[in-house]
Amino acid sequence: MVVNVSNLSPRLRQLGLVAVLFGAIPAGLALMGGGYPFQVGITALIFVTLAVSLNLVTGTAGLLSLGHAGFFGVGAYAAALAATKLHWPFLLTLPLAGIVAAALGVIVALPTMRLISIYFAVATLGVGEMIHVSLLNWVSFTRGPMGIRSIPPIEILGLDLSGVIGGYYVAATVAALAIFAVHRLTHSYYGNALRSLREDDQCSAAMGLNPVRLKIEAFAVSCAIAGMAGAVYAHTASFISPDSFRFEESILILAMIVVGGLGSLPGAVIGAVLLIVLPEVLRGIGDFRMIAVGVFMFLSILFLPKGLLGEASAIGLARRQLGAAWRGDIGAGWK
Amino acid sequence: MRPEFKILKGFAFAAAALACGLSAKPAAAADPLLLGYQMPLSGDRSQYGEMFRNAAEIKLKAFNAAGGVDGTPVQIVYEDSKNDPKEAIAIAQKFSDNPRILGVLGDFSSTVAMAAGEVYAKSGVAQLSQTASHPDYTKVSKWQFRNITTQAYEGPFTSKWMRESGAKTVAIIAIQNDWGISAAEEFAKAFAAQGGKVTATEYFNPGTRDFRSILTKIGRAKPDAIYLCMFYEEGASALQQAKQLNVKSAMFSTSSLYSPKLIELGGDSVNGLRMASTFVPENPAPEVQTFVSEYKAAYNDAPNMFAAQAYDAVGIMLDALKAVGPKATRAQLRDALAKTNNYPGVTGKTSFDPETREPAKELAKMEVKGGKFVVLP
Amino acid sequence: MPDIFDAYFAQQVINGISLGLVYALVAIGFTLIFGILNVVNFAHGEIYTVGAFAGLLLIVGAAPPLLAVVLLVMAVGAAAGVGLERLAFRPIRRFSDEASLKSRAMREATLLSSLAVSIVAREVMAHVFGGEMRIIPQAALLQDVITLGPLTLTNGNLIIFGASVVMLGGLQFMLYRTRVGLSIRAVSNNVLGARHVGIDTNRTIVATFAIGSSLGAAAGILVGLYDGNIYPYMGFAPGIKAFVAMVMGGLSSIPGAVICALLLGVSESVATDFLSSGWKDLIAYGLLVVTLIFFPQGLFGHGRERV
Repeated sequence: MVVNVSNLSPRLRQLGLVAVLFGAIPAGLALMGGGYPFQVGITALIFVTLAVSLNLVTGTAGLLSLGHAGFFGVGAYAAALAATKLHWPFLLTLPLAGIVAAALGVIVALPTMRLISIYFAVATLGVGEMIHVSLLNWVSFTRGPMGIRSIPPIEILGLDLSGVIGGYYVAATVAALAIFAVHRLTHSYYGNALRSLREDDQCSAAMGLNPVRLKIEAFAVSCAIAGMAGAVYAHTASFISPDSFRFEESILILAMIVVGGLGSLPGAVIGAVLLIVLPEVLRGIGDFRMIAVGVFMFLSILFLPKGLLGEASAIGLARRQLGAAWRGDIGAGWK
Repeated sequence: MRPEFKILKGFAFAAAALACGLSAKPAAAADPLLLGYQMPLSGDRSQYGEMFRNAAEIKLKAFNAAGGVDGTPVQIVYEDSKNDPKEAIAIAQKFSDNPRILGVLGDFSSTVAMAAGEVYAKSGVAQLSQTASHPDYTKVSKWQFRNITTQAYEGPFTSKWMRESGAKTVAIIAIQNDWGISAAEEFAKAFAAQGGKVTATEYFNPGTRDFRSILTKIGRAKPDAIYLCMFYEEGASALQQAKQLNVKSAMFSTSSLYSPKLIELGGDSVNGLRMASTFVPENPAPEVQTFVSEYKAAYNDAPNMFAAQAYDAVGIMLDALKAVGPKATRAQLRDALAKTNNYPGVTGKTSFDPETREPAKELAKMEVKGGKFVVLP
Repeated sequence: MPDIFDAYFAQQVINGISLGLVYALVAIGFTLIFGILNVVNFAHGEIYTVGAFAGLLLIVGAAPPLLAVVLLVMAVGAAAGVGLERLAFRPIRRFSDEASLKSRAMREATLLSSLAVSIVAREVMAHVFGGEMRIIPQAALLQDVITLGPLTLTNGNLIIFGASVVMLGGLQFMLYRTRVGLSIRAVSNNVLGARHVGIDTNRTIVATFAIGSSLGAAAGILVGLYDGNIYPYMGFAPGIKAFVAMVMGGLSSIPGAVICALLLGVSESVATDFLSSGWKDLIAYGLLVVTLIFFPQGLFGHGRERV
C-alpha cells in the first residue's frame, strides 16, 4: 500500500471514504462497462440507505421493526404523487417524502412505543401490511395496482441527472448523507442513550433518560430516511407499484442488517451491498441463485452470528479511525 | 482480536462469496444473434416463467433448424426477474448494455414489465411482452409491444355472449392487480351497455386462495352469472369453493383460465365453465398441432394459454428479426415488429396497430363439458 | 327462506370460523416452539408445506386412509422439525455466556438463520416439484358438502375442527400432565434454571420441535386437502397470520392463540361482507394493532419477564 492509512487523520479518512464512494466506485463501475453496473449500484445504494435507517431503530435502539418497507413505500408514493400531480421537482419531493414518512412514523410510534420486544415487532408488521394494503386498494388516490407511471427523472437546478450515472450520484449523495446522519447519531452520547434503552429501558429511565421520547425520535428519524430512500427509488425507476413495498422487502432489509451486524453502521452498509449485489452476480448460475443466496445467508449467520462486522468492533472502528471520539482517541463520542 | 482484524475477516467472507458468484459466470457465446427474455424463474410466480421458457425453446429450436436468420442462428438469453420490479430494472439495464441483444421479450406481470419498460424506452430496445395487459403498458413508449389481447376487446365479447345466453345480472370476482381491474372494468362497462346489471364487483388480493367469503357475499344477490377474472390456479380454487357453497350461477371467465391443469385441479366443479379463448389446442390448424405435440413430447405436459402466448411472442419477434436480416439494428427490429400483420400463431392471427401497437386477434368460445374443453360453434 | 340476511351472515361467520381454524392449526405448533426458545421460527410455514407435500405423495402413491396419512405426515414433520432444530437453532445456541444470551444481535441471528433455512427449503421444493399447484386426486379432497338448511359446510370443516380440538386437548394434557410437558414448561420458563435442576435442555428443545413441527405438518396436509391447493409457497400467508394470532394471544398461551386465530378469521370474513375483500387484511391487522394498544401483553398474556 502506498499510503499508510493509520497515519492519516480521521478527517482525511472520512474524506477518503467519500472519494471512494464518488470517485473510485463509479470509476470501477464504468470500467465494467454499460449502465447495468450503475443500475445495480443505484439499487444497492437505496438499500444501503434503508438498511442504515433500520439499523438506527432496530440495531441501536433495539426496536425490531418488521414494517420498514411500508415507510419506504409511503415515501416513494409521496414523492411520485407530488412529482406527477403537482409537478414538484426532486429537490422538493425528497424532503416531502421524508416528512410524510416521518409524520406517519410518529403517528404509529405514539401508541405503540409502550409495547416491548416481539409485541412491538408484530405491531410494526401489522402497520407495514396495512400500508401495503392501502397502497394496493386505495385506487382513487394511489392508482392501486396500476402503479404510478412516468415519474419525472431527476433534475437539479437545470442539471439533468436522468441517466444511470446521474442516478448513481443522487443515490450516493442521499446514502452518504444518511450514513453521516446516523453515524453522528449513533456514535454520540445520544447513541449511547439509545443503546442503554436497548439493554434495559427501565434502568435508563431511572437514570434520567426519557425512553418514550428517545424511541419516538429514533423511529421518526429512521422513517424519514426510509421515506427519502423511497423518493430516490421513485425518481430513478420512473414507475412504482405496491409490489415493491411488500413484507418480503421488510424482511430483506432486516436480513441485511443482521448479516452485516446488528447495531453496526458499517455492517449495515456491507450487508445491504452484499444482499443486492450477490443475487445479481449469481445470475450466472441460473435457477439456483436464490438457493445460493439463502445458503450464503445461513452460513454467514452460522459462522458470524453477530454479523460480518459486529457492533463492538464497528464502534471501535468508528472511534479509532473515523474520529467519532469527542476527546482524543479514547473518548465516548460526540456530546 | 482487534476490531480491524474482525473487519478483515468480514470482508474476506464477503469477497469469497462474491468471487464464487463471479467465477460461475458462463463464457460468452460467439456468433448467434441475441434476444433477451426476462421472466420469473424463482419466487412464487416461477411456474409461469418455466412455461414461457419451455415454449420459447421449442419455437427457437424450430426456427434455427429452419435456417435461422439467413443462416445465422438466434439465441435467447434468459434472466430471472423473480417478478420483482427492482430486479427487472437491473435486467433491463443489463440487456440494454449488451449491444448484441437486438430485442427483448417479457416480463410476466404488467407492473414488472412496465418498470423494465421505462429502461427500454430510454435505451431504445423493442420490448414484446406475452402477457402484460395493463392499459398503459403500450403508452410507456413506442418501444413497447404485446401480443395478448387487451380486456377492452375480450370483455365486450364475453359480455355479449353472456347476454345472448340469457343472463340479466352478473357478479364479477377479479384479482386486485392491473390486469384484473381492467378486465373487470371493461367487462362491466360492456355488460351495462348491453342492458345487463352488474350486482357486485369484488376484488381479492393476489395470493388469496380462500374465496368462500366473497362467494357468500355475492351469492346474496343471486346473480344469473358470475364472471371470474383471475388465473387458472385461483380459478380452480374459486370454482371448487363455489360448488361447496352451492352457488348456482352460471360461470364465465377470462381466457386466462384456459389450462388443462384447471380441469385436473378443479375436477367436477369446473364443468359448465365458459370462456373466450385465443388458444384452442383442438384446433386442427397444423401450427397448433405441431406446437401441442412438440410441447407434450418435450415436457410431458399439455401447453396452456400462457405457454401459447410465449410461443407466439417468440415467433413474432423471430419473424421480425428475419425480415430485417442478420445485420439489423435495434431500431430496424422495432419498425419490423410494428409492421407485424396477420402473424399466423397458435393463438390466432396477430396484427399490431402501427399507431397504438395494440394487437388484434380473433376469439373462440369454449366450454368445459364432462371434464374436457369443448369449442362451441 | 325466512330471513335471507341472517342466513348469509351466518354463512359468513361459518366461513370465518373455518378460516380461523386454519390459522389456529398453524398457530398451535408455532406458539409451542416460540414458547420454549422465545425466538420466531420463520421456517414453520415450510414445515407446513413439507407436511402437505409428504401427504400428497403418500396419497398419490398408496392412497391410505386419512388417519394413516395424517399420522405418517406427523412423523415426517417431526423428523423435519428435529432437522430444522439441528440446522438452524442449535448452532446458534453454542454461545451460552451471559453476554451472548442477553445480546439482541444473537436473538435476531437465530430468527434469521431460520429465515435462511426457510428460503432454501422453499426454493428447493419449487425446483423439485415445480412452482405450480399440485394436482390432488379428487377422492382425497375434504370437500364433501354437508347442507344444514340454508348453510353449507364441508367434511373438511368438521375434520379441521376435530383436529384442532384434539391437538389443543392433547397438547394441554401433554404440557400439564406428563414429564415431558413439565420439562418443556420448565425450559420455556428459564433455560438456565431448568438446567440447574437436572433437565436435559437440548433434549427438551428437540422434543418441542418434534411435537410442534408434527402439528404444523398435519395442519399442512389437512388444509391442503380442504382448500384443494398444495404448492411450494403455500406456507407463507398462514405462517404470518399464525404469528399474528400468537402475539395477539399473548405468546405463552396456546388456547389464547387459538382464540385469536378464530377472531382473525371471523373478522376477515365478516369484513368482506361490508367492504371490498381487498381491504379485509386491513381489518385483520387493524384489529391486531388496536388489541396491542389496549392489551400490550396480548389478550391472554400475563406479566412476562421483560426481555
